[in-house]
Amino acid sequence: MSTYRQELKSRFATLGIVIVVVLTALLLRLWMMQVLTSDSFAALAENNRVREISLDAPRGRIYDRNGVELVTNRSALAVSIDPSHEDVRVLLNRSRNDDTADDPTRRELDDIFGEVAAMLEMTPAEVFERVADVKQEALRPRVIALDAPMDVVGQLLERQTDFPWVRVEEIAVREYPNGSIGAHLLGYTGAISENEYASSDVYAGYELGDTVGKTGAERQYESVLQGDKGWRRIEVNASGRPQGTLDEQPARPGNDIRLTIDIEVQRVAEEQLAAAIAEARRQGYTSTKAGAAVVLDVATGEVIAMASAPTYDPSAFLGGISTAEWEALNAKSSEYPLNNRAIMAAYPPASTFKVVTALAGLETGIAAEGTTYVCTGTWTEMGKQWPKRCWKRTGHGTLSLRAGMKHSCDTVFYEIGYELYKRKAEELQAEARAFGLGQKTGIDLPGEVAGRIPDAEWKKEFNRNYPEYQMWLPGDTVNMAIGQGDTLASPLQMAALYAGIANGGTVMRPHVLEAVLDSSGAVVRVVEPEVFAESGASEASLGVIGRSLVDVTRDGTAKGAFSGFGIPVAGKTGTAEVKGKDDYAVFCAYAPADAPRYAVAVLVEQGGHGGSVTGPAARNILAQLLGRPIVTIRTTDVSR
Amino acid sequence: MARSRTHKSTSRRFFDVVHVPLLLWALALVVYGSVMVASATLGMDGGEGMLLRHAVGIGVGLVPLVLAWAYDYTRLRGWQGPLIALGAFLLLSPRIPGLGYTAGGATSWLAVFGVRLFQPSEPAKLIFIVVVAAVISSFKGRIDKPAEVFKVMAYLAAALVLILLQPDLGTGLVFIAITFVMLIVGGMKGRYFAYAVLVAVLATAAVLQFGLLADYQEDRLLVFVEPERDPTGAGYNLAQSKIAIGSGGLAGKGLGAGTQSNLHFIPARHTDFIFSVLGEELGFLGAVLLLGLFLALLVTALAISTSSRDLYGALISAGIIGMWLFQILENIGMTVGMMPITGIPLPFMSFGSSSMVTNLGAVGLLLSVWSRRYGT
Repeated sequence: MSTYRQELKSRFATLGIVIVVVLTALLLRLWMMQVLTSDSFAALAENNRVREISLDAPRGRIYDRNGVELVTNRSALAVSIDPSHEDVRVLLNRSRNDDTADDPTRRELDDIFGEVAAMLEMTPAEVFERVADVKQEALRPRVIALDAPMDVVGQLLERQTDFPWVRVEEIAVREYPNGSIGAHLLGYTGAISENEYASSDVYAGYELGDTVGKTGAERQYESVLQGDKGWRRIEVNASGRPQGTLDEQPARPGNDIRLTIDIEVQRVAEEQLAAAIAEARRQGYTSTKAGAAVVLDVATGEVIAMASAPTYDPSAFLGGISTAEWEALNAKSSEYPLNNRAIMAAYPPASTFKVVTALAGLETGIAAEGTTYVCTGTWTEMGKQWPKRCWKRTGHGTLSLRAGMKHSCDTVFYEIGYELYKRKAEELQAEARAFGLGQKTGIDLPGEVAGRIPDAEWKKEFNRNYPEYQMWLPGDTVNMAIGQGDTLASPLQMAALYAGIANGGTVMRPHVLEAVLDSSGAVVRVVEPEVFAESGASEASLGVIGRSLVDVTRDGTAKGAFSGFGIPVAGKTGTAEVKGKDDYAVFCAYAPADAPRYAVAVLVEQGGHGGSVTGPAARNILAQLLGRPIVTIRTTDVSR
Repeated sequence: MARSRTHKSTSRRFFDVVHVPLLLWALALVVYGSVMVASATLGMDGGEGMLLRHAVGIGVGLVPLVLAWAYDYTRLRGWQGPLIALGAFLLLSPRIPGLGYTAGGATSWLAVFGVRLFQPSEPAKLIFIVVVAAVISSFKGRIDKPAEVFKVMAYLAAALVLILLQPDLGTGLVFIAITFVMLIVGGMKGRYFAYAVLVAVLATAAVLQFGLLADYQEDRLLVFVEPERDPTGAGYNLAQSKIAIGSGGLAGKGLGAGTQSNLHFIPARHTDFIFSVLGEELGFLGAVLLLGLFLALLVTALAISTSSRDLYGALISAGIIGMWLFQILENIGMTVGMMPITGIPLPFMSFGSSSMVTNLGAVGLLLSVWSRRYGT
């Protein structure tokens, strides 16, 4: 009996040990979790309950020089589709895999999106195309319709259970109080692209799906306009339902910018550019569709107006542009309305370049104001086998340099060009570059081209695969002397050239930004004018040019365009020959001629003559600037 | 039996029948549990109602406690046949048409007219303990014949078959644990334990191999082995429970301030996962307090078992220890990822009247053994 008791004791001891072992095991496990590695669990618990919501900062507004609103913000009701919803995701995955046979069928799209599409007056395919847009962040709702009618929005909200993937939310979008006026200059906005997102410091801290400036000032001043996002930390329960706000950092709105643009001048410039194109068509130049106009303040380089035709409506990009619209804007037949031709395209400056040739002649002593030339209509100085013709086939007879400018006589400038060639010093190129031609002006807008001032070195490099074309020939300089050949300049550069002549030979750097303002309206930065190019041309030479250019509008090639203007204008017509196309009409001017304030350049592609097409447009733009009446000019002037 | 005893005063007589520490530890656990249930149901829809139901469960549990205490446990031996019948009926009852109620994949509730009454497998544990205690005690403290082992195993197997009909894996494991602890005290030879472990391993393999488990049970077991298998499905519960307990740290987030608990990340937070709430809100210190109380309770029960006048009483006490110890191990173990997830409550802590009434009844049985330790 005692051994049994003894045994029982050891069994109880065993049981006691089991109890201690079990509880100790639990204790050790808890020690490990709650004391040793508690931090990582605490982080997971925090991550469970806290969601951070990004608060978008209102984008800065854009004003003109007089404080008129050019771009503002408004809130819009956006109907979007949640691409992460089961029903939608399945379709998206099928449309994205390589197997095109697996793509959602028309019928499937109709089954899902048919009703919603009908309400929004879209087709199911259009709806799906917007949902499938790869330019957007994967999980962000895709806007399919902006500013849908209230009754439709109401129906969608009521039937949320039928369309669980539909979201209706208020989003901030850009508003353009002046419609498409200034579209190229202002630019449009859109969702950040993957390239932008992956690229430089400008977009550091951005999220996919953020709205950014794509072109124009919107892009140039992206970092100014963007502002700083805020965030709100909310507590959510296990179902993701918000329980309350924990903490919040409000967004800081982007700064506003004030441009040098005068919206009224801009409006007139666009109207006059359109009118010039219409006039060219009326004159029989039926291929014409495009052109550009630039107005500069000669003393500061401020861009008062910058127009490009054809134009587009920046509001088409709100909420994301549809593929069809995007393709239409980029089709060859559209003449690329998104391009700002004033800075992105370079053209032969044609006769407007003759001021450079004249200055080179005057500065080198080859020519003087009264130097006389004989124009017979055909110029054969380089040899009978290489005749050059003046645009006036019958010839201008005997005329001075000043008269050559007034009548735009090619022969006069062939002579000067040939003399310059013979000096082998590339002084014509130097003169052009002294006014900033052949290089970017550095205007604060994206996409500017440099144009081209050709020289021997350039030609050799350009034809490096064609040794027989590498030599710089007399004809090259002679062609250049009348702004043809390989010489190219953007409308902005042409305006800057005339602004430089008007400003005593100093070209101020063109710019569109006048000031940056914070959201309370206080000025935080003012743009000071700066010198772009110092030509070094003498006052005497510039005087000759000035007088000649006034002759042009008084009784020269632009006489008709400026008759009755009342204020002396220094201008020059141009008619550029482009191989395989109708002539391009150009006109450059500054005014008032005696106390210059503004320089203007107007160009119409395949528009014919400067005197009758672009001259009247320039006149009316100057009229708006100088308080003169805007009139319709019809001249039959076919001079160059 | 050979102990000396003295009768010097009525107060000493009081302590002869009232085991104050046992009642104290049980009371402390019931209070601790009530506080946690209150914290867990706080902010739930109908939270106050649940707390009231918890209190009612405690009140009802006092009845079996007092009855079992007052009744001389040695006389239970005479009721072996009726107890077996009652136990079988209780385990079978949920399967009787009109009396069963299904929740969480198991038909483990007794219901009348669709109203859930209680989980019959809870009181069945105590009946099983009493019945098996009678069987093992008949072997006089030595189990060295295979026939004796098989006899005990037959009782266990019968109970398991009835339980797996529901099916309720967790409760089945509790019955196995109870049997093993009772066999230790009952004097089973070491080599039989080795055989038993071997059989258990083979049986588990067979069960998994032939798909005898319900899908959800197999899921839970597999998730236990590989928690990242399905973080939002079966593994989600485990992951969230671990986050709750781990994030509690040393001192916890404070009563009622557990984010995992209040924001519904912890499933069944007032019942099976009550320990997750405790771990989150009261931290390691709160968990140490709980384990300390459990240790005190189990050691006290062990002392009572040791002091029993006969093997029968010692086996009943040992069975109760086995029941509690395994439920503590399994329940807390599953919340920290040491054990697979099964639906068994934490004694005295989890919300649920069936469990509370059973555990208080077990306390009554222990008191009965204690108060009759000197025989009559």
